Amino acid sequence: MRVERLVPLALPRGQKLQCELCRGPAGLRCGACCVTYYCEVEHQKADWDSIHEKICQLLIPLRTPLPFYNSDKERNHGLEQQLSREKHLVELTHRVAQKFLFEGKHKEAIPAALHSLRFSIHIYGLNSVELVPPYLILAEASIGLGHLTQAEEYLSQAQWTVLKTSHCSDAIQSKLHRNLGLLYAAKGNFEESLYHLANDIYFASCAFGTNNISSSGGYYHMANVFFRQNKMDIADSLYSEATDIWHSYFSGLIDVQLQTIMSPSEIDILCLPALRFHSMELNTIFIPSADESQQAEASQILNAILDIREHASRQQPMKTGKVVHALAMLHYLILDIPKAHELAMKALLIISYLQKQDSAEAIQQLINLIKSKPFYAK
Amino acid sequence: MKLLGKILCKECVSNKYYVRCFKANHHNLHYRNSYKKNTCIDMLRQGYHKSFSELFTLIQKWNALREAAGPGSAIWLQTSLEEQPDKLDQLHHFLTRAEAAQRAEHYEDMYNHQLNLAYCFNNPEDKWLRNYFYEQCHRTAKQIKIDGGKKEAESHANLGLVYEEQGQLMKAAEHYEAFHQLTVGRMWRDERGQSHNLLACEHLWRIYTLLADKMLENNEHQQAIKTLIKAFEMAKKGNLNIYIEISTALCDSVGLGKAYQAIAKVLVSQEKVTEAIKYLEKFVDIAKSAHHSRSLVNACTFLGNIYNERVSIRFRNYAMFANALTDLPLVDETKAYYGIAKAHNMMVAVNSHTEAVDHVTIEYLLAWKENRSDMCTDPFTVDTASLPGPWPNLCDLPGAPSRRSPE
Repeated sequence: MRVERLVPLALPRGQKLQCELCRGPAGLRCGACCVTYYCEVEHQKADWDSIHEKICQLLIPLRTPLPFYNSDKERNHGLEQQLSREKHLVELTHRVAQKFLFEGKHKEAIPAALHSLRFSIHIYGLNSVELVPPYLILAEASIGLGHLTQAEEYLSQAQWTVLKTSHCSDAIQSKLHRNLGLLYAAKGNFEESLYHLANDIYFASCAFGTNNISSSGGYYHMANVFFRQNKMDIADSLYSEATDIWHSYFSGLIDVQLQTIMSPSEIDILCLPALRFHSMELNTIFIPSADESQQAEASQILNAILDIREHASRQQPMKTGKVVHALAMLHYLILDIPKAHELAMKALLIISYLQKQDSAEAIQQLINLIKSKPFYAK
Repeated sequence: MKLLGKILCKECVSNKYYVRCFKANHHNLHYRNSYKKNTCIDMLRQGYHKSFSELFTLIQKWNALREAAGPGSAIWLQTSLEEQPDKLDQLHHFLTRAEAAQRAEHYEDMYNHQLNLAYCFNNPEDKWLRNYFYEQCHRTAKQIKIDGGKKEAESHANLGLVYEEQGQLMKAAEHYEAFHQLTVGRMWRDERGQSHNLLACEHLWRIYTLLADKMLENNEHQQAIKTLIKAFEMAKKGNLNIYIEISTALCDSVGLGKAYQAIAKVLVSQEKVTEAIKYLEKFVDIAKSAHHSRSLVNACTFLGNIYNERVSIRFRNYAMFANALTDLPLVDETKAYYGIAKAHNMMVAVNSHTEAVDHVTIEYLLAWKENRSDMCTDPFTVDTASLPGPWPNLCDLPGAPSRRSPE
């Protein structure tokens, strides 16, 4: 991470170099790629931590002049390559920003989102609907950091773009309304917030169905608003709904694994130490199909709900058990085996008090699956 | 949401009215949205997410049904659920209340709301909706424990009616049986004051009869027999106004009479004569009390035939009963049967006399041959006191030929 200091005066006349993040006059240059400039060390560090480490080398072809091409065909080919590189960067930065958001690292999300925005503007123009996702991430990050006016600005942009676009997809509208809902909730305007979150759930259901994991976020945030309004029964019902959605999604994934790979009796046999190495080859097939942002979202929601349930004045063991079970399945699917085991045992303990046979069986199967992993150390 | 009166919809082509006014701030947005979207968002805003899911799924279901039926079917031309504001309103009204009741665990209220919805959609176009809500009622009713299972029983009865209407008789029978089981020994009554238990018996009797009809069509005689036994028992248990009910049944379902005959025939062919006779006797009793002459004649004739062929000792001349009625076309036939029956009757006596080869009996036999009397007064003859009913005088019947010897 070499950093080189620049002397702005030494640059050719008229060429002004701007900081990557704040667009102020640049005094530093990244030593690795030599095409990225920063005003001060803080911005350089922030950008590096957030996104620059991942895209440093990828920026070079985009920021250096194009090579000389001999024919029209080569020129077109070159342009196409540039375009595809830019699109790839847009996606990459977007994903990274999203992940940061779900992990709660709002500050780190902003540089990544800004990159995503700038590249999108470059590719698609200022008024296109593709700009909406980066605006939404920026807005969410700003809300997380407490910069509400900034967030409102970004969201107005996004909303205006959506209104102007006639064929905007339901998924994007859903995300837009979720952010609007979060903004109003942060401002304390609960009625508006609920209206927008209702829109979020409606569009998500139109796009994916009522029981999809995309709607779970909407339910969770709505529950939070009702919680803050002290309408506990509604909040409780919504938390349960969000939990149920994730629970059934994970159960489905685990069932698929159980059926395609082995029968439950084989799993029991696999618990024996001698056969643990056999399952290692099968490990490669156990790749979780949920992508990283979904994982992060699930983790955020389920942990928050668990927290609330554990601190509730009136304990509901059945529901708490379900949350713990869902979390255990999540950790198993992302191959965090020790944590999965710990959570699964906790879930089993809670459920066994209640004498619900089928839930207990499901948890037991999960525990057997976990124990069959070679990482599991007694 | 308060009912603020009807507002003319600016968007809708058919000039329909919005019945509910949504929150003031969003008026402009709401006019841009469809009624369905506004209803959904309204539900969600108030936290009724389950109502939303249910409504959404129902709309999707309707669309799927329509797609599956394809163009040209009846459902293709119907307006979609999402474009009928009044239905959406009703769904909103009751679903939200049902969900509130569910949260508070007042399952009785929830049941009532769902039942109201089922009643709302009791028209031919929305049968699927009505049936859906009956199923939901049933699911809710299972959780109501306070009333001792009354709502559960009622929900079984409703589901039974639904399946009967659709022609799925076996499932209907299952539900009616559950209804019956739950109501046995209870003094519950429905809104019209009719006892639930009697209602259960009536339903079961009807469904068993229908089932038996179907079985007879498929020549499943054994099954039909069993089902008809059950039907009969139900009828008895219900203490149904047998005269009226069964006579109407006999008028309506000629199948019942035919069925009994069919049972009897089958049993006879299987050499289970006594059982056959039992059924026919039962049938005769019913027919008698309902004054249903045709069936009575049929039953009596059939019984008589059986007895004729079997020459059983305990002889009852059912043909006599036929004669008691004024069914003219059959009188000759029955007279012939009567004659045969009488002859058989006497054969027993004559045979016994012939076998007893002693002087006294031969005297009697000769006397009988002389005057062809009935030997009724003779102590050796069959005990006529055991025979049922008065023996009408053949000569009294219209068109009867005169007999040489009096009865």
